Amino acid sequence: MNEKIRQIAIYGKGGIGKSTTTQNLTAGLAEKGKNVMVVGCDPKADSTRLLLGTLAQKTVLDTLREEGDEIELSSIMKTGFHGIRCVESGGPEPGVGCAGRGIITSIGLLEQQGAYTDDLDYVFYDVLGDVVCGGFAMPMREGKAREIYIVASGEMMALYAANNISKGIAKYAAKSGVRLGGIICNSRNVDREEELLKAFARELGTQLIYFVPRNNVVQRAEINRKTVIEYEPSSSQADEYRNLAAAIDKNEMFTIPTPMTQERLEEILLEYGLMDSLKDNYNI
Amino acid sequence: MAEYMGLIEQPRFSCAIGALQSVVAIPRAVPILHSGPGCGDMVKGFYERSHGYAGGDTSPCTNFTERDVVFGGIEKLRKIISNTYKVLDTDLQVILTGCTGGIVGDDIDSLAQEFRDAGKPIVSVDTPGFKCNNYVSHSHVVNAIIDQYVSLYEVENEAGSERNTVNLFASLPYQDPFWKGNLREYKRLLEGIGLKVNVLFGPESAGVTEWQSIPRAGFNILVSPWYGKPIVDHLKTLYGQDYYWFHSVPIGANETEKFLRGVLDFALSHNAGIDKKKAEKFIQHEIDAYYEEIDNLATFLLEFRYGLPGYAHILHDAGYVVGMSKFLLHETGIVPKEVFATDNVPEKYREDILNDLKSTSNKREIPLYFEADAGKAQQLIRKTEHKGNGLILGSGWDKKLANEKGMGFLSVAVPSPVRLVMTTNYVGFSGGLRLIEDIYGKALDGYVK
Repeated sequence: MNEKIRQIAIYGKGGIGKSTTTQNLTAGLAEKGKNVMVVGCDPKADSTRLLLGTLAQKTVLDTLREEGDEIELSSIMKTGFHGIRCVESGGPEPGVGCAGRGIITSIGLLEQQGAYTDDLDYVFYDVLGDVVCGGFAMPMREGKAREIYIVASGEMMALYAANNISKGIAKYAAKSGVRLGGIICNSRNVDREEELLKAFARELGTQLIYFVPRNNVVQRAEINRKTVIEYEPSSSQADEYRNLAAAIDKNEMFTIPTPMTQERLEEILLEYGLMDSLKDNYNI
Repeated sequence: MAEYMGLIEQPRFSCAIGALQSVVAIPRAVPILHSGPGCGDMVKGFYERSHGYAGGDTSPCTNFTERDVVFGGIEKLRKIISNTYKVLDTDLQVILTGCTGGIVGDDIDSLAQEFRDAGKPIVSVDTPGFKCNNYVSHSHVVNAIIDQYVSLYEVENEAGSERNTVNLFASLPYQDPFWKGNLREYKRLLEGIGLKVNVLFGPESAGVTEWQSIPRAGFNILVSPWYGKPIVDHLKTLYGQDYYWFHSVPIGANETEKFLRGVLDFALSHNAGIDKKKAEKFIQHEIDAYYEEIDNLATFLLEFRYGLPGYAHILHDAGYVVGMSKFLLHETGIVPKEVFATDNVPEKYREDILNDLKSTSNKREIPLYFEADAGKAQQLIRKTEHKGNGLILGSGWDKKLANEKGMGFLSVAVPSPVRLVMTTNYVGFSGGLRLIEDIYGKALDGYVK
């Protein structure tokens, strides 16, 4: 596979905004003329909805199920906003089969079908929730994503998940060369969120690469099946995503994370007063 | 010598799915494998003549592929089951999962229930290879049949309603190469003392109707050092059936008499309605017939005493190791030296097995190793030095070692590419005589070059 393509996987706690962040930031990259492919690695297959303006994309695994592994690339790869190539891995019905193996199978098929063309600048893998099994670590294995960004917020569980994902990265780092590029904060308006995230990132041996503030335009754009950059290109939030895209484009800090113990993580949370403010009525 | 969790060489058992052969052993029952095709093939290779009605690599199989891993293989299994009904006329179907189905977590139980609701006699059991070996999963298979099939016939088979009927759990089908002959002999002996016997496996079983009648039995008999015990425990809980437990394989006169008298006392104390005198007469007749042959052997033993084996190593499951050791020492004069229980005996049963073996003699200690790694067992034998003619009683894989050591060899365990066994039995009085024939027959075979 072409070494020149920057392959990036986005991980983070379920519901933290990985798909929204990925699509908005890839929209930002595409706007600047970058050739981007987004591979959704979530059985829900909702990683490319904003880029395509529709959810009705046939997934790799749907095609495999219905037609066998003689797949035409054109039937699973659709072009969305600014020429972004969109692929959804898909998966089994909830509660059946093995979604982890599904990711392995579908990435394998994409490679076989020659989806990774030389003209690509970026491939993004939008991976579900946590690195629960080997399948969900597929994007960080040898020859795949070299860079990982973890989407997190100041909420405790998001940080727990981020720390856990870092363990997965550290495990694969030696063999596959995967590195953590930074933490992206998708703000939940938690008290002292930016400071907390910076401290957390420092402890992990990485950086807070960008702080994306909360803005309801994101929700409005989502309802309209668009990225913010497409929906309200002149809004301040669109610029935030453009800046995030630029930060990733320019990023040169790639590290092997140093995951912390549960105790240390809680210490940091305490230090930044998260526990003290539990009684506060902070608005989201 | 802990229970093995790591790598071993030359296992003398198969993985959990090997218990598909327990299904094959039930007349007109068919295993349905929810696994890759290699599982049935592996089982076939290990047990040799394993086909039965439809077993080994001829078992219906979902041929699990990548697609089934990702999406689940239930639909394919449903299809295989439906098609099995079209091509095979069977009385009982047992679905067994392989590793892939087990990891993916296909809900085979609900599917089996669906077919049961439609009136089919079908049972599901989880047998992924990583779960346990076939000594353990045999009990899982039997208990699953009891829970999902036998239980449907409880109304017409009242628990404990036939006081002189027993369910026998002894030789594991196919894992014990002499299972067919052994079950036949157990049945003959137990009938001789006045019991009616459900052997459940093999040609002496009446098939599913016999299985349906399991609850009726007055009590159960377990002949095993450990495997199969979960079955009799389960039946005790379900139907209140007590069980008589004989811990090793009874071979020859001493142990068979002990076994039969043990069963007889147990049956009498459980009001089995047995004619004690008649039973005693039968036992005596068997003993007399046995010793008549031993008497006739005296001249032969004298003539050939220098060419006969003086000591033996045994590699087999713990039941055979103890049973054969007792028999060899007391009834043939062949001294058991290092012996190896290769069946990965769970820790909690080991002390009892050691004590059972210790009871063989107060003059001679027989060194018993619990060694599931038969490669290590062979290594140990390789280093031993004993005087006289040696003999190895083991699987076909031990033949080379016997040649290497200049010892005699008799194949008595699986896997064995060097011996064909059909209906031979080693249990009972006749089994002891047969073992003598085989051991001395081999010795004589090498006598005149």
